[in-house]
Amino acid sequence: MLTPFLALLLVPAPAMGAFLLLGLGPAELNRRAVQTVALVGAVLPAVVMLPLGAYCLMGTCDGIQPIFDLTVGDAVVALALKLDPLSAIVGVTVTLIGACVIGYSIDYMAKAEVPDLRRYFALMNLFLASMLCMVLAGDSIVLFLGWELMGLCSFFLIAYHVTSSRAIAAGRKAFVITRVADAFLLAALLLLFLEAGNVRLDALIPAGIAADELRQGLIAALILAGALGKSAQLPFHTWLPSAMAGPTPVSALLHSATMVAAGAFLLARFAPLMQAVPLVMALTAVLGAATALFGAASAVFQKDVKRLLAYSSISQIGFMLLALGLGEPEVAIAHFVVHAIFKSLLFLSAGDITQIARGTTDISAMRGALWSRPLAFVAFAAGAASLAGIPLVTAGWFSKEAILAAAWLAGPFGVVLWLVAMTAAVLTATYAFRPVFTGLTRIGRPRPSLGGIFTNLPIALLAVATFAVAPLVEPIMEFLGGAAPHPPHAVELVGAAAPFLGIALAAALTFVPGLSLRVARARRMRSGIRIDGIYQVIIVQPFVKMVRWLTGQRGGIADPVGSIPVLVAQRLTAAAIRPLAHDPLDRGWMGLGAGMVRAWGAGRRIQSGRVRDYALALALGLALLLLIAWGTTWR
Amino acid sequence: MSGFLTAALVLAAGLFAVGLFGLVARRGVLFQIIALEIMLTGPALAFVAAGAHHGDPAGQGMFVFVLVLAASEVALGLALYLRLARHADAGDSDTIRELRR
Repeated sequence: MLTPFLALLLVPAPAMGAFLLLGLGPAELNRRAVQTVALVGAVLPAVVMLPLGAYCLMGTCDGIQPIFDLTVGDAVVALALKLDPLSAIVGVTVTLIGACVIGYSIDYMAKAEVPDLRRYFALMNLFLASMLCMVLAGDSIVLFLGWELMGLCSFFLIAYHVTSSRAIAAGRKAFVITRVADAFLLAALLLLFLEAGNVRLDALIPAGIAADELRQGLIAALILAGALGKSAQLPFHTWLPSAMAGPTPVSALLHSATMVAAGAFLLARFAPLMQAVPLVMALTAVLGAATALFGAASAVFQKDVKRLLAYSSISQIGFMLLALGLGEPEVAIAHFVVHAIFKSLLFLSAGDITQIARGTTDISAMRGALWSRPLAFVAFAAGAASLAGIPLVTAGWFSKEAILAAAWLAGPFGVVLWLVAMTAAVLTATYAFRPVFTGLTRIGRPRPSLGGIFTNLPIALLAVATFAVAPLVEPIMEFLGGAAPHPPHAVELVGAAAPFLGIALAAALTFVPGLSLRVARARRMRSGIRIDGIYQVIIVQPFVKMVRWLTGQRGGIADPVGSIPVLVAQRLTAAAIRPLAHDPLDRGWMGLGAGMVRAWGAGRRIQSGRVRDYALALALGLALLLLIAWGTTWR
Repeated sequence: MSGFLTAALVLAAGLFAVGLFGLVARRGVLFQIIALEIMLTGPALAFVAAGAHHGDPAGQGMFVFVLVLAASEVALGLALYLRLARHADAGDSDTIRELRR
């Protein structure tokens, strides 16, 4: 059966093909070939996805493309890809951002060795393909597969600099923390499967809603936990700031369109189910608002641009979760799209500026950027404006305003959340503009320079997009089946004033020496109120200690899963088998053997060879038999 | 049970026991063959007595059987005796124990 939805299969396919060719293909490829394959693999999904999105806009936007069905007893495992407004919007965003970031990488990674480059591009393409699989998934298996592959790719990409132990540790941390959350998601999906007996999302969500209250609550809470881990929300947020050890384009992809944003997408996908459990919804909203404020406050005090942007991602996804918790998944997805654009723009332009500053990613590396790297700086300022939410011109304002409005309209509980989110919005403008103001200061006599086409084209496209998407934010919400909430004008005015207050604060922090010194000294805030350190003490160290104990203090590779059975077996042999092993049991067994030899020696004496003896034995035997026969008749 | 039958059975058991004793106590192969013959007469007598007691001719039939058996046994036994006497001391069966090795 040939339907237009067959093209869905072609969306992740080029990126997956590029991964297979680069990652597993045996052929030797030179630098140019590697770059070409990677670029083709990244651009083709966008080429396929855009017409699909357009097709979706034209009306028929509810299609399933089955991959294959497997029936096991009553259960049906039906793998499929799915096109609906949600996956269309997110799919288009992901493919476009992916193409931009991988295109940008060609220039950014130009100095890498060819094998490293090949590894890098293979993983980036797999990363993109797995996110697309997850977004377009029509069943829980493809969804979970994409989700897990993303975690794996992020580990490899964060630990891209394999010679740096810090990078490896950061990758491991990201992997382990997201793995913990993945376990929750897996549990939720399995519970849903038990309810539905089918893996299709179209069957799972109604089955989840139809389940009894306890199971429904459990499933919703588990899904939320999975999303929190992947999206680096409180209390799982610590992996994201460390993940800055990877190359900048990795961060750009990881923070904007894939991985971190996947948690918000997951919650939007399961929104009908989540909305059936008010308690979990309230928890989502509270955690979202708390994370938004925490991330923004920590970002203000960062010295490093990349760490600043990492806390910014944590904070922005907190905003998305707030919207999801308030029952407005359409608003959250609109913010997802806008955030993906400006966050990748910020990372790419900051990467370009800091790369020419000899690799340091300190905010001070931005100094004089307006003159030394004008295009990237202007793009960064555009991204920062969208992040801060400058009213009416930037896309960021429309989506963030919608979230704030949703909070305001959600009753008295919502007003508290609105206050928290508004504070976060002010701080957002503050941290967004600190690097911008730093870039304005002029040092020496700078010579303006421009990067190559692969650097500038994606940056320019994304910079234009941050403004071009602004009028599209409300249509996106409507397309997804929601409506932009509108609060009273006074509230809207306060929202519009917030970014300017934040910018004034940023200017003060940058140009008033006393204040900037204070920021520089605020170590506690810079480490994200030391939550990482607390985790290190209460979770990581006891765990490491336990593992040491399990491996018998030998050190080496710690493997609790392997050592516990070995330890138990050792204890068991010591207690039960060793006392018997060498003495009584062994001797008894060998004694039986020796006794047999003696018995044989005694037995062969009967065999005298004399006829008379045999005759006597025969007679005695007969007599004995007769005696027994007589005995049996004797009652 | 009549006194005749009891006496006959006791006599038969005695004949068998005498034969067995002869077989075990004597060493000469020839005497052992004779002792076997005596042993056979015991059951033969018991058959005849039992047949007479029940008025059944099968007892006498069995006696004829035993006679035939005894005759063939003697024929075989004497042949073996002659064969054995050429190789070893037939006067002492205890010395003939080569099978033991």
